[in-house]
Amino acid sequence: MVSRERVEGVLQRIRPLMQADGGDIELVGIEGNMARVRLRGMCAGCPSAHMTLYLGVETALREAIHEFERLEVV
Amino acid sequence: MRTASDFAPENVVVGTSPRMRAVFDFVRVIGDSHSSVLVTGESGTGKEVIANMIHHASPRRHRPFVAVSCALFSENLIETELFGHERGAFTGAIREKAGRFELAQGGTIFLDDIDDVPLGMQVKLLRVIQNRTVERVGGTRTIPVDVRIITGSKRDLRQLVAEGKFREDLYYRLNVLPIVLPPLRERREDIPVLTDAFLRRFFRQRGENMPDVSPVVRQVFMRYDWPGNVRELENACERMAQTSTCGAIKLGCMAANLLFQAAPAAPAAQPAESPAVGPELEAVDPTPAASSISLDDRLREVEANLITWALRVTTGNKSKAAELLKIKRSTLGDRIQRCGLRVDDDEAAPPTTESPQFAA
Repeated sequence: MVSRERVEGVLQRIRPLMQADGGDIELVGIEGNMARVRLRGMCAGCPSAHMTLYLGVETALREAIHEFERLEVV
Repeated sequence: MRTASDFAPENVVVGTSPRMRAVFDFVRVIGDSHSSVLVTGESGTGKEVIANMIHHASPRRHRPFVAVSCALFSENLIETELFGHERGAFTGAIREKAGRFELAQGGTIFLDDIDDVPLGMQVKLLRVIQNRTVERVGGTRTIPVDVRIITGSKRDLRQLVAEGKFREDLYYRLNVLPIVLPPLRERREDIPVLTDAFLRRFFRQRGENMPDVSPVVRQVFMRYDWPGNVRELENACERMAQTSTCGAIKLGCMAANLLFQAAPAAPAAQPAESPAVGPELEAVDPTPAASSISLDDRLREVEANLITWALRVTTGNKSKAAELLKIKRSTLGDRIQRCGLRVDDDEAAPPTTESPQFAA
C-alpha cells in the first residue's frame, strides 16, 4: 500500500500552481496502490482538465512511487 | 498542414529578443543574394520558416520554394527524390520523374536535415552545387538548374566535419551565409509574444476571440524548457485552444507534462550549492497538516539570493557571475528577469553591495 504522505508529496508539486489559478486537487483516499483525487474550484467540472490532471498526475505518481498503480478522479 | 503564405514575412511572428531580431535583420540583408545559406538550430526552432522567409525576401519569390527533408529517405531514395529518374531506371520506374532540384527551377530549394545525409550522397550534392546541373538516375542528360540552396541542420556541421562525418568541401559550399537559431529556452522573453500570436490564430480558426490567459499558465510557460522549441509551444497553444471550455485559459487546459516539468520541485532544477533545498525534499514533510508554504516563492527566493550573491562577488559582471553559477550568460539574463531582479546593465557596476536590487 502506498503511503498518503508520498502521494501528497507528488500532489504538492503542482498544488501551489493550481491554487494560484483558483483551484485545488484533493486526495480523497488511498486503496492499496490506487489513489482517488478530486478537483476543486476552477476547472473542477471541465472534462479537459480532468484528462490533463488525470494523465499528468498518474504519470508523475508512477514515476515517483514505484509500486503505484492507478489514479481515479472522482 | 502549412501553406506557403504562412511563411510570408508579414505572417511570421517576430519575437522581440535581440537574438531573433538579429536573425530577421540578417534575413533582410541576404535577401538579394543568391548564395547558399546554412540554417542551424534545434528541432522546432523554425529553420523552415526562416528558409521560407529568405525565399520570400529574394527576387526568386515568384518562383517555387521546394522543401525536402533529407532524413526521410534512404540514400537511394534521396537521390531519386532530389535528382529524379528516367523511365526504366529501376524496377517500378514506369515513368520518368523530375527531381526536387528541377521542380525548384528558378526558385529556392530547402534541404532540411542535411546532417543526416550519408557521405556517398554528399559527393553527389557537392557536384550539383559546383556544376549547377543535375543528372536524373538512369539518365545521361545533364540538366542545368538555377536554384538557390538553403540547408537546415540540427547539429553543428563543423563538429560533424571534425568527426569525419561530413565533407569539409561540401560544408564550405553550403555555409556561405550562416544563420543560427537559438532554442526557445534561451530567449524566454519571446514566449509571451509567441503564445499570444499562436492562441489568437487558433481561436480565429474557431471563429472566436482569444480568451484571457491566466497568469499561472503564463508563469508555467515561462518556466518550462520547451525541448521541442517553438513547434512545441505552437502545439501547446493549439491544444489549449481546443480544450478550453469555460471562456478562459487556465491550468486545466494545459498538457500535464508541462505542468509537472515546470513545477519548481522537479529534480535538477536547482544548483547544487543551494543550501535551503536538497534531496531530502523527497522525504516528504511528515506533518501534512502544517501551514502551507509556497514552494514557488521559496525557490525563487533561493535563486534570487544566489544570483545576487554571484553578482556581488563579481561586482556586477554578469559573464563572471554566470560562470560562478555554472550557467550560460544568456540564462543568467533570463533568470535575473524571471526573479524580478534589477541589475545595472553596465558590466562594471560599483563594487558595493547595492548594485543588484529587488525590483519594487
